[in-house]
Amino acid sequence: MQQQRSRVYVWEFPVRFTHWINLLCILALSITGFYIGNPFIQAYSAKQYIMGWIRFIHFVAAYAFLMSFLIRIYWGFMGNKYANWRAFNPFSAKKIRDLADITMFYLLLKKEPPPAVKKEGHTACAIYVYLGLFILFVIEILTGFALYSQSHYGVFWKLMGGWLLSVINVQNIRLYHHLIMWFLIAFAILHVYIGWFLDKTEKNGLMGSIFSGYKFVTGKELE
Amino acid sequence: MRAVENALGITIPDNARIIRNLITGIQYVQDHVIHFYHLHALDWVDVVSALKADPAKTSALAQSISDWDKSSTTYFKAIQDKLKAFVESGQLGIFANAYWGHPAYKLPPEANLMAVAHYLEALDWQKDVIRIHAVLGSKNPHAQTYLVGGMALPVDPNSQNALNVEGIALIIELANKAKTFVEKVYIPDLLAIASFYKDWAGYGAGVGNFLAYGVFEQDNVSNTTNLYFPRGIIKNKDLSKVYPVDQTKIAEYVTHSWYEYPEGDGKSKHPWEGVTKPNYTGPKPPYEFLETNQKYSWLKAPRYEDTAMEVGPLSRMLVAYASGHKRVKEVVDSVLKKLGVGPEALFSTLGRTAARGVETLVTAEMLLVWLGQLEQNIKRADLQIHNNEKWDPSTWPKEAKGYGFHEAPRGALGHWVRIVDGKIENYQCVVPSTWNGSPRDAKGQKGPYEVALIGTPVADPNKPVEILRTIHSFDPCMACAVHVVDTEGKEFTRIRIV
Amino acid sequence: MKIPDEKELGFMEKLAQKGISRRDFMKFCTMMAATLALPASFAPKIAEAIEKSKRPSLVWLEFQDCAGNTESFLRASKPTVVEIVLNLLSVDYHETIMAPAGKQAEKSLDDVVKNQKGKYITVVEGAIPTKDGGVYCCIGGRSAVDIVKEVCGNAMATIAVGACAWDGGWPAASPNPTGAKGVKDVVSGITLINLPGCPMNVQNLTGVVVHLLTFGALPATDELGRPLFAYGERIHDHCERRAHFDAGQYVRQWGDEGHRLGWCLYEMGCKGPETFQNCPTIRWNDATNWPVGSGHGCIGCASPRFWDTMTPFYRRLPKVPGFGVEATADKIGLGLAAVTAAGVVAHGIARAVKGKGPEQGEKKE
Ligand code: SF4
Ligand code: SF4
Repeated sequence: MQQQRSRVYVWEFPVRFTHWINLLCILALSITGFYIGNPFIQAYSAKQYIMGWIRFIHFVAAYAFLMSFLIRIYWGFMGNKYANWRAFNPFSAKKIRDLADITMFYLLLKKEPPPAVKKEGHTACAIYVYLGLFILFVIEILTGFALYSQSHYGVFWKLMGGWLLSVINVQNIRLYHHLIMWFLIAFAILHVYIGWFLDKTEKNGLMGSIFSGYKFVTGKELE
Repeated sequence: MRAVENALGITIPDNARIIRNLITGIQYVQDHVIHFYHLHALDWVDVVSALKADPAKTSALAQSISDWDKSSTTYFKAIQDKLKAFVESGQLGIFANAYWGHPAYKLPPEANLMAVAHYLEALDWQKDVIRIHAVLGSKNPHAQTYLVGGMALPVDPNSQNALNVEGIALIIELANKAKTFVEKVYIPDLLAIASFYKDWAGYGAGVGNFLAYGVFEQDNVSNTTNLYFPRGIIKNKDLSKVYPVDQTKIAEYVTHSWYEYPEGDGKSKHPWEGVTKPNYTGPKPPYEFLETNQKYSWLKAPRYEDTAMEVGPLSRMLVAYASGHKRVKEVVDSVLKKLGVGPEALFSTLGRTAARGVETLVTAEMLLVWLGQLEQNIKRADLQIHNNEKWDPSTWPKEAKGYGFHEAPRGALGHWVRIVDGKIENYQCVVPSTWNGSPRDAKGQKGPYEVALIGTPVADPNKPVEILRTIHSFDPCMACAVHVVDTEGKEFTRIRIV
Repeated sequence: MKIPDEKELGFMEKLAQKGISRRDFMKFCTMMAATLALPASFAPKIAEAIEKSKRPSLVWLEFQDCAGNTESFLRASKPTVVEIVLNLLSVDYHETIMAPAGKQAEKSLDDVVKNQKGKYITVVEGAIPTKDGGVYCCIGGRSAVDIVKEVCGNAMATIAVGACAWDGGWPAASPNPTGAKGVKDVVSGITLINLPGCPMNVQNLTGVVVHLLTFGALPATDELGRPLFAYGERIHDHCERRAHFDAGQYVRQWGDEGHRLGWCLYEMGCKGPETFQNCPTIRWNDATNWPVGSGHGCIGCASPRFWDTMTPFYRRLPKVPGFGVEATADKIGLGLAAVTAAGVVAHGIARAVKGKGPEQGEKKE
């Protein structure tokens, strides 16, 4: 079968930009967060300010992450159809069917790549995973601000997350905040691997696309 | 905690042992004094009668029994005025509705005034001396530095944030203050008051069996038998023999307690196998009386070799006395001599109260000795306060069981623990007040409170101050209601004791 | 500062009669102003309020408790208990320290409830068991629930002292066999303030009482019903070891060098970062010491349901429910990441074996 390959502009600049900001933030937040939870470096002098700086970086990165998160949401309304929030609507029979197909393929139970992976935007599987990711982000942000509000008094911080403290006890908030970090790390590993895997099997330039924005799609899938 | 240390075979560092001795020691001293003045004395001392006292005579009385410096006429006059102003305000607060003027009060007004003055002084004193707990245990009540394996209080003479010379100096100051007050106020008062109530050496004898786990380790081997106040049992008021304590012979009944055992309530259980399953069968509140032939208490009935035991300062002192403890023997004998009574007088309400005083004195004397041991260790640069070996639960055996013995101010306290997979499987405490206040067991044997009340004369059944004297002499630790049934007379007496 | 006028001096003389100098009294008032975080200029106002009022009645109820708060009360140093009992309040009912017992004691309580309806202060210590009709704690044959409803219901204000009276404390710790609850969950519609802690710090109790006498109202509280002057800020933010926390100097083992030098106890499970109370500022027992000061971390005793929520006391994070006791969040997280990585590697290998081409691969299952 003769397949026509074409180059499509899928990921617009804000999408790529927030993607890389997220990566940097999550890296920084995980490393500093891990230190805050378990300070593995011991200072040799009280004049040092290790925990102080680490927390500072954590908070700055947290703000950067929040901004990036907001930009991405904004782009969900302003961006192209691949970035649009409608693309993320989970309640679609087609997506669920596609998800099943793709999962079979990923688990190597199916040899032929299903047509569903040959999409120019996110695959159905990605949609669901990203929705889950989105929820994890929201929880991280809320629990983070809830913990932050313990030492920052006032209505603003109450609204940002402090209200959570009266719903769940602090220690559990801390626990979730910490556990989700590990989920995000696990996600990152999977994310990179699947990207590489699809890039290899589909030759769709997926790995490059997040730098350039262009994905290669086989012709018949072009709409 | 000791139970866990025992289960895991942890030996605590010597410093931790000394710090624990100090904390327990000052607790004895402070607690016993509070008990005497604030929880027990008003059973003997008539506050209102103190208004009638002559301050000059009071001063003479006070000076005749002790060289305590607060004993001038003006001092007692000021106290009396304070008391007067207080009574005149019409708001008697905690002193309202007591049994003032009751015929069982026998002290002359002067002795009453002196006791009231010392009641107030002791209130001030206790909050000071207990600061030793703050130095060593962070705060009182509820010291927070105890750890399985040692203490969380660092010791370092060269650090600002550890127990250093400053801290030690403060302890010395407070320990001296404690000792002086006991020597010059508490003991003289105790003797003076007791001399008016010698007939109480004939009442409130109790079960006659005494159990002491012993306290104040002299070396740091865990669950040591080398204790300053020794471990032992005295049976049937026989001071000529001290029996060893075998923890496997302790068991608890629930026959008359609001609990149930899976194998039926007629059998007793060792604490390692203990079960605490509530089963309330009493009347629905509000109620007036409880039936003693059924279940009637929230306390279990602990028994040693199936007999009821009394615990507390009297038990400790008797065991020490009978085992030939030099200092205890000296003090007990001198107290008996001053009161002009023989050792048999110890088995009574008065004996219990006196033993508490003896113990306070002997303990107060030891505080500085222990502190000296700590100083010696520091001098040898031994600063270890915690044994870290078994801190991480992953180092624990799959299953372990242990028990820990301690003597709380009120008496023998035992904890039994079973640990499975790093988790506590069963934890049972047999606390002093369950020994003393225990209800009847399957054989119907009564506990010490119940026995001690038999034969106590009550002048006015509506104002049973005599019953309070005996019950308070045990230093009960129950903030809830205690219902005592007077088994001799026909009438039931309902009292709240705290 | 206002110069005391004649009328006040009259009171002062009365005080002097009771053996308290004007200076001591003003010192006490100034100290109280400080505890309540009021400017020092308030001291005269406090003095005035205390002078004017007849000593208000106070009844102290005890239920499922260990008398720890009573003990704490007895440790009061500024003012001392003697001063409180003789000058500040009329403590009309307190099971542990009162002289009468039994029926006579109950009379004291009845007198207050009947004669001073709406004018007395109630202090509640201990949790209130509510299961099985409240049989787990009865006093004089009446259940605790009953007593609390009556006594607190008729009081001007109720002060719940200690963790137990606040939210059940340790009697309510899981599995809570007696259905223990705090005052706030047993009676509603009363004027209530809570002083959690195990036990409460007596200086905060005096603070509340003086505030009540001075301003005629209870101090402002947070959403958990705790006065802001005592529970408004975090231990961690006022801890003297905070500099070591920020620097990165932690105690790693009990008795190690850091422990002796007073480094931060964060790694030993200190719950200062999640606990709100004024321990580091007012300290305990006449400001002698406080837990972190002595070398042991805070265990969060003023936090809600602290026996359940603040444990394990010696770890930063709670255990993950559903895993063994040894499972920490990090072990589970690391496991998760490792499984993912292993999955990825396995996938890669499997694909390398199977995925040479559709023709070569064997179909499985
Ligand atoms: S010791 Fe506790 S309260 Fe103090 S700085 Fe460290 S973590 Fe915070
Ligand atoms: S430091 Fe923490 S645990 Fe200690 S008394 Fe204060 S709040 Fe309670």
